Amino acid sequence: MLTCDTYHMPTGLTEALTLWSEAPAGSRLVSGATDILPWAREGRAGDVHLPAMIDVTRVPEMSGYRVEGGRVRLGANTVYQDFLSKDDLRRFLPCMPYCAIWFADDQIREVATLAGNLVNASPVADGTPPVAALNGEVELTRLADGKLARRLVPVGDFILGPGKTDLAEDEIVTAVILDDATGYGGSFQKVGQRRSLVISVACCAALVKTDASGTKFEDLRLALGGVGPRPIRLTEVEEALRGAEISHGAIAKAADLAASKVASRSRKEYRRDVVVGFVRAAIEEALGNQPGAPVEIRGAGETADV
Amino acid sequence: MSKLKIELEVNQRKVVRETEPQKRLLDFLREDLNLTGAKEGCGAGECGTCSVFVDGKLVKSCLMPVAKASGCKVETIEGLAEPGQLTPVQKAFHKTGASQCGYCIPGMVMAATSALRANPDAGIEEIKERLGGNICRCTGYTKIFEAVEMARAVIAGDMAPAELEEDAVGASYIGANVRRLDAPSKVSGRLKYAADMRMPDMLQMQVLRSPHAHAKILSIDTSEAEAMEGVACVITSRDVPGQDGFGVFVHDQPIMARGKVRHVGEAVAAVAAEDLLTARRALSKIRVEYQELPGIFDPQEAMEPGAPVVHDYAPGNVVKHIPVRKGDTAAGFAAADLVLEDDFSTQQVEHAYLEPEAGIAYVDPDDVVVVISPSQNITHHRHMLSHIIDKPINKVRFIMSPVGGGFGGKEDMIYQGMLALAAMKTHRPVQLNFTREESLIASAKRHPSLVHYKMGLTKDGRITAIEFNMLSDGGAYGMSSEGVMRKAAILSCGPYEVENLKVDTTAVYTNNTPSGAFRTFGGMQAQFATESMMDMAAEALGMDPFEIRRVNMMKIGSRTHTQQELTTASLDRVLDAAEKASRWETGAPVSRGSQRGDLGGPDTRAPCTLGARINQPDVAAGKEKVA
Ligand SMILES: Cc1cc2nc3c(=O)[nH]c(=O)nc-3n(C[C@H](O)[C@H](O)[C@H](O)COP(=O)(O)OP(=O)(O)OC[C@H]3O[C@@H](n4cnc5c(N)ncnc54)[C@H](O)[C@@H]3O)c2cc1C
Repeated sequence: MLTCDTYHMPTGLTEALTLWSEAPAGSRLVSGATDILPWAREGRAGDVHLPAMIDVTRVPEMSGYRVEGGRVRLGANTVYQDFLSKDDLRRFLPCMPYCAIWFADDQIREVATLAGNLVNASPVADGTPPVAALNGEVELTRLADGKLARRLVPVGDFILGPGKTDLAEDEIVTAVILDDATGYGGSFQKVGQRRSLVISVACCAALVKTDASGTKFEDLRLALGGVGPRPIRLTEVEEALRGAEISHGAIAKAADLAASKVASRSRKEYRRDVVVGFVRAAIEEALGNQPGAPVEIRGAGETADV
Repeated sequence: MSKLKIELEVNQRKVVRETEPQKRLLDFLREDLNLTGAKEGCGAGECGTCSVFVDGKLVKSCLMPVAKASGCKVETIEGLAEPGQLTPVQKAFHKTGASQCGYCIPGMVMAATSALRANPDAGIEEIKERLGGNICRCTGYTKIFEAVEMARAVIAGDMAPAELEEDAVGASYIGANVRRLDAPSKVSGRLKYAADMRMPDMLQMQVLRSPHAHAKILSIDTSEAEAMEGVACVITSRDVPGQDGFGVFVHDQPIMARGKVRHVGEAVAAVAAEDLLTARRALSKIRVEYQELPGIFDPQEAMEPGAPVVHDYAPGNVVKHIPVRKGDTAAGFAAADLVLEDDFSTQQVEHAYLEPEAGIAYVDPDDVVVVISPSQNITHHRHMLSHIIDKPINKVRFIMSPVGGGFGGKEDMIYQGMLALAAMKTHRPVQLNFTREESLIASAKRHPSLVHYKMGLTKDGRITAIEFNMLSDGGAYGMSSEGVMRKAAILSCGPYEVENLKVDTTAVYTNNTPSGAFRTFGGMQAQFATESMMDMAAEALGMDPFEIRRVNMMKIGSRTHTQQELTTASLDRVLDAAEKASRWETGAPVSRGSQRGDLGGPDTRAPCTLGARINQPDVAAGKEKVA
């Protein structure tokens, strides 16, 4: 059971940062509370008392999104359901709707934030692979001499390990900044024990763009989750396919390169098998989801069976 | 702790309150506003019994700090329809029989309402997806989905609202589609389960549970907890005035651990306090000194000589052994052309009813001790409790509150005794609501079993003899083990006529979570072994699996394993119906997996998919409808 002395709902960023820097030790920031509340239960942290909870969901500077210079700045209050219900976001971030549909359920997605997912830094978080694929950076803000001081950290450097991030004591995540991937086909693969409300055993995000003729890969972004303490970009696979002819054979061959990336301590062999199939399926599905004319995948080899 | 002032609109009424800052929206609705339609099934966002609308969006109120709802419009199940009315969704749930135990139903109705508000044309895949956050344990979802599709049709004007009314009943109720009498109270969230009930001056109870599987209790010091402000009483086994011990067959379980603990999660002491938080804080002030004992966790090891003893009265750790003998198995095996032998094991299973255990006890002005709880066995509980609290039977009363799912798991009196003791000690009503975690750790489970099976058959598939030996893990207490062993023995060899059989079922004590009643009561574990053997025999003999069952099935005049002569039998008709419905491809079960010809086809469930709404043109264009 979670208890606290005070629950703050600041309505401005400076107010939030001031409350946060002055909060007694042990206080916590709150976004959707979908990690914090289940954490304070029997079998996990048990009964927890926090001096202060500082809820940032009503800070306007952390809400909404905008596009600047080929990058999409998502306010930290962006929730998973936004990736399904907001037309713009679906276009800019084509792998996010597929990630969101696999994430928890409709009701949790209405409150669970992408930022909270990143700060929670679970090795099996669904949000990290697509953010890594979208060259994501985390915007961290603190007060320095009463002024806002910001820094940007690439997601791969932000997440240090299970439950560990580069977030400093007085900082708040104010935004997640991603590539505008308009025109790419996106996909997301996840294995867990059932369909709704399930944490991944492993997951994979893909973004794919073909050349104008639709026969060659122009660009490709792939990232894995659940196979190690941090999200992994599959740069070898990406490089192997960039500029290559689109065929089942080429995809299968490149996907095999992913197996060596599996570093998890548990169920390593299983995860290896899954990952290779995943990467193939992720690329093929992303090709199928590319806006515009359908892409034909040539060559022998049946579609990946996942 | 400073109070939190919140202003919001609940079911179109303005509400201004001061409350505790840590309250979740669910606590606020249930405790401060007495709106108990939203339930706490898990407290961790998994089950959906607490779903409510906040500013038009469906959320799980167990994961929402109440401060987040301030300034918002909240809509609960109580607010969907005017008093005395039901919405088309609620009526459809009533019509199709979608509400059984009813505990998931308020949340399920909210999720269905949300799905149809978001997309009034949602297809079945999208409906399933949108209801994905709500769990039901009774229906298997079919009737729920049927109800949502029916409501969709009525709302869209494709079906007459009259279709939601009860079907006319002709001369006989048999075969007629009759609606449940209590469904309106369930679909509207008005039915009060034990955790929804409030009594003036009521205390809240919390239970201190054992962290050890097997340990001697050297001392329990409750003085610091008792001295706390707001604590009304602390109880331990010392407070039991009569003959302590309950159980469905053998009364081997004390109300709270007496002298030693036998499984992790066993109740050791309990606190009744003015509020839940005080009771929880008091638990941490109780000092228990344990001396750990070697534990026994494997049923086979429990039977070995020199194994640790769980109960002194049962030095060999056997709860119950049920033997059944018929004919002469040696002769039967000698007559066999084929003898098959194999081992089968099944695991522990949790019932996971959506309603965690809950109850209230009080002492009425005539000194009658009253216990209200969703017990599946109140008469037996009443008799046992009268001995335990040393009161004549007319001074003990049990009231069965609506059972939010039981499946056998609410047959054991694992907490009602503690409530009674605290009510007697304080003369105030006392309530205990389990958390989901507590329900998992403290309630009985399905017996894990090991079956060693030996079956003799002739070439034409006739069974000549069976040896069936089942060892079950009964866990720390007897509970329903004896009955489960009887049922497993009686049903052991299945609905087949077997001339020669030797059946032994045994449950043993271990320091695992107790095993108890679970629908089929031992039948499932036995049938898993028997039906697997039948299929393996069919494969070995090159026979069709239906055929081998027909050769051996019990008919009118057959004698059962326990020598009862049957005057009716229906297995022939069951097999015919199953064969037809499954479009079974006749032949020995050697062709496997994707090569079978009888896969797919009508009535076959397609594998799960996700993303029905992503690929829809209107949603893809960003026009998600909000009604
Ligand atoms: C039933 C259920 C199903 C779930 N399913 C999934 C799933 O499928 N996939 C998945 O990945 N996760 C899942 N989760 C986990 C959880 O929902 C996600 O991790 C979610 O994204 C967390 O976001 P939040 O806004 O709720 O975070 P919160 O719980 O509010 O916070 C999480 C952490 O981040 C910190 N924090 C929050 N906001 C900020 C900020 N702006 N700056 C700095 N620190 C901050 C908090 O202090 C806390 O440590 C599930 C959870 C539940 C209960």
